[in-house]
Amino acid sequence: MKGEPVVAVRSAVRSPSGAPPLGEGNGWRGLLEERAAKAARKASMADRAAGLVFKAAAAVSLAVLAFIIGIILVKGLGTAVRPSFLFGRPQAMKEGGGIGPMFISSLYLTFLTTVIVVPLGVGAALYLAEFSRDGRLVRLVRWGTESLSSISSVVFGIFGMVFFVIYMRLSYSLLAGALTLTLMNLPTVMRVTEESIRAIPWSYREASLSLGASRWETARRVVLPAALPGITTGAILTMGRIMGESAALVYTVGIFVRKPPLSPLQPAAPMAANIWHLYTEGALIPDWMRVASGEAAALLVLVLLLNLGAGALARVIRKKMGIVQ
Amino acid sequence: MAGPTAHSWAGGPVNPFKGQREAAIRWTLRICALTSVVGLVLMVAFLLRESLPAWKEAGLANIFAYEWNPDKGRYGILIFLAGTLAVSLVSLLLGAPLALATAIYLHAYARPAWRRVIGKGLEVLAGIPSIILGWLGFTTLVPLVRRLAGGTGMGILPASIVLAVMILPTVATIARDSLDAVPESFAEASFSMGATRWQTLRRVIIPTAWPGIAVAMILGLGRALGETMAVAMVIGPATAFPRNLTTPTHTLTTKIMLEMGESTGVHRSSLFAMALVLLALSMLLILLVRLLSRKAVREFSGGVLTC
Amino acid sequence: MPCEADEEEVRGLIGSREALMEVVVGQGDLPPGGVREEESPRVRGNKMELEGLSLSYGERMVLEDINMPVPDRSITAVIGPSGCGKSSLLRCLNRMNELVDGARVKGKVYLDGEDVYAPGYDVVGLRRRVGMVFQKPNPFPKSVYENVAYGPRLYGVRQKKVLDRIVEESLRRAALWDEVKDKLGSSALALSGGQQQRLCIARVLAVQPEVILLDEPCSALDPISTQRIEDLLHELKEMYTIVIVTHNMQQAARVSDFTAFITVEEQGSPGRLVEFGETGEVFTNPREKKTEDYITGRFG
Repeated sequence: MKGEPVVAVRSAVRSPSGAPPLGEGNGWRGLLEERAAKAARKASMADRAAGLVFKAAAAVSLAVLAFIIGIILVKGLGTAVRPSFLFGRPQAMKEGGGIGPMFISSLYLTFLTTVIVVPLGVGAALYLAEFSRDGRLVRLVRWGTESLSSISSVVFGIFGMVFFVIYMRLSYSLLAGALTLTLMNLPTVMRVTEESIRAIPWSYREASLSLGASRWETARRVVLPAALPGITTGAILTMGRIMGESAALVYTVGIFVRKPPLSPLQPAAPMAANIWHLYTEGALIPDWMRVASGEAAALLVLVLLLNLGAGALARVIRKKMGIVQ
Repeated sequence: MAGPTAHSWAGGPVNPFKGQREAAIRWTLRICALTSVVGLVLMVAFLLRESLPAWKEAGLANIFAYEWNPDKGRYGILIFLAGTLAVSLVSLLLGAPLALATAIYLHAYARPAWRRVIGKGLEVLAGIPSIILGWLGFTTLVPLVRRLAGGTGMGILPASIVLAVMILPTVATIARDSLDAVPESFAEASFSMGATRWQTLRRVIIPTAWPGIAVAMILGLGRALGETMAVAMVIGPATAFPRNLTTPTHTLTTKIMLEMGESTGVHRSSLFAMALVLLALSMLLILLVRLLSRKAVREFSGGVLTC
Repeated sequence: MPCEADEEEVRGLIGSREALMEVVVGQGDLPPGGVREEESPRVRGNKMELEGLSLSYGERMVLEDINMPVPDRSITAVIGPSGCGKSSLLRCLNRMNELVDGARVKGKVYLDGEDVYAPGYDVVGLRRRVGMVFQKPNPFPKSVYENVAYGPRLYGVRQKKVLDRIVEESLRRAALWDEVKDKLGSSALALSGGQQQRLCIARVLAVQPEVILLDEPCSALDPISTQRIEDLLHELKEMYTIVIVTHNMQQAARVSDFTAFITVEEQGSPGRLVEFGETGEVFTNPREKKTEDYITGRFG
């Protein structure tokens, strides 16, 4: 098998250009090769440019955040950190007023709302995740919750006014505001809790049931404790949202309030709503802009603490419970 | 919106409850769950009740008319509807590109440390109260617009800018989640053929994730639609049709917010009617989101993988 | 004139695979009987060569000092127990391992005599010339047509007529054309598993690679689809160099011309090449005891 045919064979099997000799339609390797180099160069330039664009976008987003926090704090922190401001009495016509009652109102309102919405939301989420089948009721609840979460805050506000304040005769009060905010934040608490519950492995429940525990006992002793970090995070994030809420409170919690609420049935002036009042009526107070800036800074600090603290707290809880997740 | 878990109670033991205590607890939990539905129903009911005089007085056609003048019995909300739509759409126009670009960065270009930092940053931005953003807009943005464009410095433009900042985290996070949800294998296949990161994104990942991205934008739009405080502080307000970006105007939300306190009679009822319109708009958007979410699931699983 | 000799003639003249290898591989340098491990490096006719290849992911070393050839225009099977680094080895050949954070490669991998890990080497071009088919079929969520056209489009081919021809030819070569020619526009995800895998092969063929890497391509498929793909590989090796990772020894024996056996000393240690040789020899008369143990099923 040497000689002429071998030479022929060799060439036939592997021709100098490396292109396969068999069949037709091999032509496009050449086409690709000649295009490939150019295309690859263009593509890598485009890729680098794209990378720059996207990195720039992320930088801009971060810059926007830094700018917002920076300006608010620069303009207001000086005012806000003084105890005479934070705990001081507001002035009606003079300068130098503080936001003491507002500060207390915010804290009180947050506490009250949280105490109502968290048990309600956890109970609802527990029902959806552990105690129900995927039937009509569950679908109804999900649709209702989703719809609720999409509604504008001012609509909640006026509903709160006609229902809690007027119809339920609570009149302008902390309670009316708390109930309105409960409705507003229920979907969030439900969602976060349900996610936490569903993240728990089936094997935990299996073990509990096989030892003879009932569904509720399992839920109480195994599922909820395991979901606690997630639930806590959700609760703290909700607290942040409550603190920052204003539209839903203007017509439920009271308007020209200058005194701190001593009971849930009294009107109040949470900080966020108060900034709005300063904006609309504040010209009565000569230094209203300073007060508003200080109030904004104080509010921002509180909200930031809550936001950043939520994650930290969840980590602490996880460690204490020995959860490896 | 969570779906059923792989293991579910359905098909479990037939008699799992021990006695009446379990039943009572189950009922309690059921009531908790129904609170949201009951709340929603009450809301719609009371809004309808309060807005009835307006519907009766002005009728459907007149409510959606142009002229708003309660003293003369005119309750057309077109101006405010236009304001709401204008402000929402412009804010989406301004904010969505930045949000999507940030999402792409987080999905494809960010190193783990930066991904955490920027992700957390978006969370923090999302948590900033709208009143604070409105206040910032009022004290910083409005004077700037006034200097550049004259007039009062209030109107659609500053409102849209503030809103764009507000919806940035929403759109970015949801878009990033939908990009992350695209199966890794698609990207792998594309890279193995010599595609660059950008080519893979453009030709495979983004087209696959687009229903989720659309959902992100719609939810951003929904947030913009319903925002009150941040808009109210920079939009004027004034009952004037938004002819251009720097004329003070109103949106549905700001109108309700600003006039509810002092209005009576039919005027007040028509504000409730506006609230109903807002409600309808947001529920429409939710419907759209549901349809798109279902489409997204179908894209991934395609047909049945028979072997 | 020599180039006009066609396949039938060539086969007739040569008559046996071994003789063909003899002719192509060494221009007569090598003894008949094929390639042996100690003689293989640097022999002309190896499409790719691995020299001192080591791979680690962060701290963990996954492959250590692999030296083996990938002979041209033949099927090389890589076998070994699971977790020994076979897939990682494959991914070193087209630099796909770089997509994993913390992956480090030492040593050289030659393609047509050039080290692909040399700085400045065109990775994009490499991935066109060395294509990959994955374990689980991963067609894009696009139409059948668009899946196959993806590669050519990447390289700037835009005219519809040219694309049409490329798509048809690739699908034919992947033995899928007849089944999908009426539904080129339908979603690729609607095809059966076996069809999807052949589609992935067609997709790779469309960029005219020189080497095709297959990572356990049939493990997710039923026996009939597996058979079809094995038949397809037999056809393809006429034109392409093929490396196939498989945990199925019968498949390796059926399909391949050369076999590389990779294994680990113990759990967690890096994979090493134990033996490389012609498949017939490796399976019937292995030189290393470890190879023999594995093949006869004593472990792994």
